[in-house]
Amino acid sequence: MLENYVPIFLMIAAGFGFGLVMMKVNEWLGPKSPNAEKLSTYESGMEPVRSARERFSVKYYMVAMLFIIFDIEVVFLYPWAVSFKELGMAGFITMTVFITILLVGFYYIWRKGALEWD
Amino acid sequence: MQEFLNWLKTPGLTHFLIVSGILFSLGVFAVLTRRNAIMVLMGIELILNAANINFIAFSRYSTGTLDGQVIAIFVIILAAAEAAIALAIVLNIYQNFNTVNVDEFNRLRD
Amino acid sequence: MVEQLIANLRGFIPEVSLAVTFCVALVAGLIVKKHQQEFISVLALVGTLIAGVFVLIYADQSQTLFSGMIVADPFATYFKVVITLCSIIIILFSQYSSEVQQTVKRMGEYYALLVAMTLGMFLMVGATNLLMMVLAIELTSLTSYILSGYTKEATDSSEASLKYIIYGALSTGLMLYGISILFGLTGATDMFGVNQALAAGPVNAIALLIASILIIAGFGYKISAVPFHFWTPDVYEGAPVTITAFLSVASKAAGFAVMIRFFKVCFIDSNVVGLPAGMWASLQGFEWNNLVAILAVLTMTLGNLVAVWQDNMKRLLAYSSIAHAGYMLMGVVVLSDKGVAAVLIYFAVYLFMNLGAFYCVMLVANKLGSEHIDSYKGLGHRAPLLSTAMVVFFISLAGLPPTAGFIGKLYLFAALLDAQWVWLAVIGALNSVVSLYYYVRVVRNMFLRDPEGSAEPVALPVAQVVILLALVIPTLVLGLYFGPLVDFANASVVMFGLP
Repeated sequence: MLENYVPIFLMIAAGFGFGLVMMKVNEWLGPKSPNAEKLSTYESGMEPVRSARERFSVKYYMVAMLFIIFDIEVVFLYPWAVSFKELGMAGFITMTVFITILLVGFYYIWRKGALEWD
Repeated sequence: MQEFLNWLKTPGLTHFLIVSGILFSLGVFAVLTRRNAIMVLMGIELILNAANINFIAFSRYSTGTLDGQVIAIFVIILAAAEAAIALAIVLNIYQNFNTVNVDEFNRLRD
Repeated sequence: MVEQLIANLRGFIPEVSLAVTFCVALVAGLIVKKHQQEFISVLALVGTLIAGVFVLIYADQSQTLFSGMIVADPFATYFKVVITLCSIIIILFSQYSSEVQQTVKRMGEYYALLVAMTLGMFLMVGATNLLMMVLAIELTSLTSYILSGYTKEATDSSEASLKYIIYGALSTGLMLYGISILFGLTGATDMFGVNQALAAGPVNAIALLIASILIIAGFGYKISAVPFHFWTPDVYEGAPVTITAFLSVASKAAGFAVMIRFFKVCFIDSNVVGLPAGMWASLQGFEWNNLVAILAVLTMTLGNLVAVWQDNMKRLLAYSSIAHAGYMLMGVVVLSDKGVAAVLIYFAVYLFMNLGAFYCVMLVANKLGSEHIDSYKGLGHRAPLLSTAMVVFFISLAGLPPTAGFIGKLYLFAALLDAQWVWLAVIGALNSVVSLYYYVRVVRNMFLRDPEGSAEPVALPVAQVVILLALVIPTLVLGLYFGPLVDFANASVVMFGLP
């Protein structure tokens, strides 16, 4: 099975290799005369406002952390929803308790102002 | 070569264990060698995910029950909680020390 | 199903009341006005007390809950009592800790997290499922990471919490990997199931050894055993004193409880006949107690030797607590009910003496603003009561009569000699002698040295004196009248599901 694909892998490797070699050769042999107009964004592309390699605001981390916590709860909800019928009332009560505790946490971050961007 | 390819094309428990072993080693390596606290924490995530692969592989190939997969779900959540708290602590460290390199904190030592 | 759930909840009331207290304290911290924040500490205190009362009401039960996830048995009950006492004392301490009281705005979080940590420890001592065990350890750890960095403006505190989370998360990761291998070998997540699978047939010995070393790494970090102790001195020094005291007693107690239960339930060989009463054997070909014996020797020796060089009191007590973990590990090594009972007795004693020592350090730090050993010079004349109390705690920590520490050590060494572990007992005794040196060094500074700088008396408010006496008196009384404690401990070695 797998050895049937060997030619394809070889083909892919050869393709990448050829492309890379051509690019390097071009860069090495081709004449270079850069000017401001040539280096600017092509045609209707956006002019970059500033470098993309800058620090993110701390607020972003805050939102990311809260997102992780509240996103991951779905991992519990999904299997529960799938087997809802088998689990019945006991499962429902358990999940209600879980969601209630989660809501306490949500109320807490809300009142603390962690959800305000500014 | 042929034998190796034959072995590769029938994935079994061993394959998964090898992957998880590699992942575990990479995680430990990252923890031991990295200076940046975030990188150390990413190494720890690798260790947790290596354990996860083990759990799911054993659950699929050797025990035949869903126990391992349930554990894996819990481990994912545990890792998320740990990551959130670690990030908060690292942010706090950054505000106090202006660096996140673990070898630059040595106010507490013998 | 629902009836079963309600029946299970009946054995779970202490944990439920802690969980409710946690939620209420968290919300109260938002609602209550800033100048009324003491209200939250009262709330946390009441909640913990209620949990403690429920623990005592249901003390005689021995049953498994939530389809084998956790058990409520005498062994768990004993540790729950110790942990509840410890967290009540810590909540009282916190009222007088200047470090904690400075952060008025976040007081709700502080008490809520303390309660959550207590909940995590309650779950730890009862866990019989590997998943439950990991989750409980993690709940305890996550809250302690935050609390050790609670005074977040202080650089020491934040450094401590970063070091703690890196070591802690690594050990949890190693432990989980070990558990995944154990799960693969046995196909069970339940401790009893693991035991049955291991007893039924031999498994790959090397894989089992690797798994148990990785799992020991997780326990070792929790009880700060060498070589998993590196976080301990730094975290103990950097964290607020109240949290340090809590970690050194309650967290260690819960770690020991879960470790003893894990090793006893998973690796007991129930088919061996002809053992003396109260002894048990580990499964053939897997003598895990030898691993623990090495750990015990390393832990107490390193703890005591390094403590000799310490000048910061919190660091000194950190190494002393590492050494004490080593002593208590000796009780685990011997595989007998006497050994486990000795560990239980030691924890009850350790609760009072270690909390007392940390309380004295906290009071001195409040008054003098320093934890350095030099600032204790001449303290015996400036604060006679405080210094005398400290001497009592240190004598007890060193294990000399007529204090409670002596009783704790006596039962430990008796259990060791009873099980023919003479060499270990000798090393333990030598270590106790070394420990005397650094305790006496502090005492000498307090009473035989002249004060540097100001020599004016240090006054203590009445409430603080009451708490101090509440810790000194048990330390002295348990050294003379220890019958009930020993009976309680002997009755508490019974674990659910084991003969």
